[in-house]
Amino acid sequence: MQRPRHLVLAPCLLVTLLVGAGTAVSGPFDIPLLPGPKVPTAEGEARLLFASSPFGVAVTVDGRHRYDIRIALSGLPDPTSLGAYHAYVAWEVSTDLADWHRLGAVQNGTTTVGQTSRNKFLLVITAEPDSMPSDHSGPTVMHGTSPSGWLQTFMTHPMFRGISQ
Amino acid sequence: MQHDMSDMVMDSDSTMSMPIPMPPGMVMLPGLVGLLPPVAPFLPGGGVDPTTVPLAVPSRITPLADGDTLDLTAGLLRRVIRGNSFVMYGFNGQVPGPLIRVPQNATITVRFHNRIDLPSTVHWHGVRLDNGSDGVPGVTQDPVEPGDSFTYTVHFPDAGIYWYHPHVREDIEQAMGLYGNMLVDSPDPAYYSPANSEQALMLSDLLIHADTLIPFGLESPDFVLMGRVGNVPLVNGEPGYELHVTRGEVVRFHLTNVASSRTWNLSFGDAPMKVLASDVSRFEREARVASVVLAPAERYVIETRFDRPGRVPLLNRVQAIDHYMGEFVAHVDTLGWVTVDSAAAAPDYAAAFDSLRVNGTVSADIERFRPWFDKAPDKRITLTVATTALPLATVQFMSIDTAYFHPVEWVDGMPEMNWLSTGKQVRWILRDDDSGLENEAIDWHVKHGSVVKLRIFNDPKSFHPMQHPIHLHGQRMLVVSRDGVATANLVWKDTVLIPVGSTVDLLIDASNVGAWMLHCHIAEHLGAGMMLTMHVDG
Repeated sequence: MQRPRHLVLAPCLLVTLLVGAGTAVSGPFDIPLLPGPKVPTAEGEARLLFASSPFGVAVTVDGRHRYDIRIALSGLPDPTSLGAYHAYVAWEVSTDLADWHRLGAVQNGTTTVGQTSRNKFLLVITAEPDSMPSDHSGPTVMHGTSPSGWLQTFMTHPMFRGISQ
Repeated sequence: MQHDMSDMVMDSDSTMSMPIPMPPGMVMLPGLVGLLPPVAPFLPGGGVDPTTVPLAVPSRITPLADGDTLDLTAGLLRRVIRGNSFVMYGFNGQVPGPLIRVPQNATITVRFHNRIDLPSTVHWHGVRLDNGSDGVPGVTQDPVEPGDSFTYTVHFPDAGIYWYHPHVREDIEQAMGLYGNMLVDSPDPAYYSPANSEQALMLSDLLIHADTLIPFGLESPDFVLMGRVGNVPLVNGEPGYELHVTRGEVVRFHLTNVASSRTWNLSFGDAPMKVLASDVSRFEREARVASVVLAPAERYVIETRFDRPGRVPLLNRVQAIDHYMGEFVAHVDTLGWVTVDSAAAAPDYAAAFDSLRVNGTVSADIERFRPWFDKAPDKRITLTVATTALPLATVQFMSIDTAYFHPVEWVDGMPEMNWLSTGKQVRWILRDDDSGLENEAIDWHVKHGSVVKLRIFNDPKSFHPMQHPIHLHGQRMLVVSRDGVATANLVWKDTVLIPVGSTVDLLIDASNVGAWMLHCHIAEHLGAGMMLTMHVDG
């Protein structure tokens, strides 16, 4: 039995706007990566995998899930084609963009980089002068949002206030 | 995705009018205000005067030898929790029930007497015993009616920590206190790394409004969407656990989650911990951990060293979701305290505690199963849900709140919506991917001595995705991989937590002949149909 069409329209529209046309959120572990203007033909996705734990579900002591991040990329040009860059580097970035944590160097193909235990984060790939920069300095070539970033707020939703508009 | 609103069930005449405790800041959907679950309210004792009911006493260790007999009586008792008296249930007047301590390979006889006001049975969780004593109504026995008795023969082939509980209306009977541990001692005195003392902790919770228990559904469970999550956490039936130890004392904790739905993330302040064992065996290798994730029905054996005098809290620290704000919120329950005296513990097991043992006999046992690790799955099931006749506001909300589901829901962020869902409206589903059959229509047959690979997928696109602790009766199993990643440190399990969106491969050692249940151990999900039968044919 399918749900009434109008009930699924709103979330579909929202996800389409936020993620990009033609991209779907497929589960709590998948991060579609979107290309920046310097690499318009690049494609990528990341997958969150529970870090090794005796309990199967890996969490920090305060209950944040711990994941290894596996990134699959294709269509990235040689970084030297973008300027004085020799590597692509993945970063786990706080949602206010204030805290950048280097995950590791990535390239076309599949790479398992570092771990994350943030509730919400951005995944950003930049071109850098080398594969182990202490901070990001080059252009953003791809980016995505942790699945938890799609957690919706209903603070202003009329449903909670009994308002018809 | 299944939802049918053509037959909405409402019951505005129900007397179940208790306000449901809401998380701080969370507002009730206007469309749900005034609605009641379509079930009659039920609490143990049917209004009996609490002063006429005996006061519960703490669990007592009951050592039994091979061939011994135990009389186990489920009855009404009175518990005082946070100053309020409640009529609840217990075994032999104790909460938890007697801690049955037996040597490995012992066989005992248990004469069960049902003196509560519901039919009941006893299931010996995790024990690879004779099928006829598994305690499953409709499969291995008839329910034991109030006033009747049933005799179980329980053989303990595996060392470790196990537990017993009813297999009838667990959402009521287990939640009201019918649970107890079984501690099976290995003949090897060095089976675990050394400890100065040991404690069995059974973790549960209770849903209370002011001075009153929130009633249960009589005809079927309520809180069926995500199970009943209590607002009063309990350790061994009490809201404030207290333990006194000496400085440097290594305490071995046998942890059992007997809550209906809650998964815990436990820690003792910043005291160091290591994990030794789980459901049916020790780990291949002991591991240092910062906290213990304990899903319903799971057990873990851990050791903790309290090396500084003072007070150490037993904490449950998780991340709740504030659906109103769309944010994660740190949630902390303080379950109790460990008081560490300044006197030094003797003997000093610091060196043994600091080392992590490798259990070669466990690996050697598992090695026999390694040839099957990479085989194609023999059975595949998908976890999903179907609903009908839920309140319209619930349907509307669930239908637009679909962009993200947390792999594990640690607390109930929508209790009023959850409360209004019953087994009349929600059917949790184990679906056989090959046959398309669901739940009790599934009737697998496998050969005794075979090794069965079962792949379970928890569909994130169902109407209400949620984690499921899946329990298999009477056998042992290995979690060989999660989401395609091989498990690095194996342990024999009988219950495995499957987060939303995860795929888990289990290798079942079909070692025990009989008809065995596989089901979700969230009591309300089980009550809403989430079970199948696997026959191990001799």
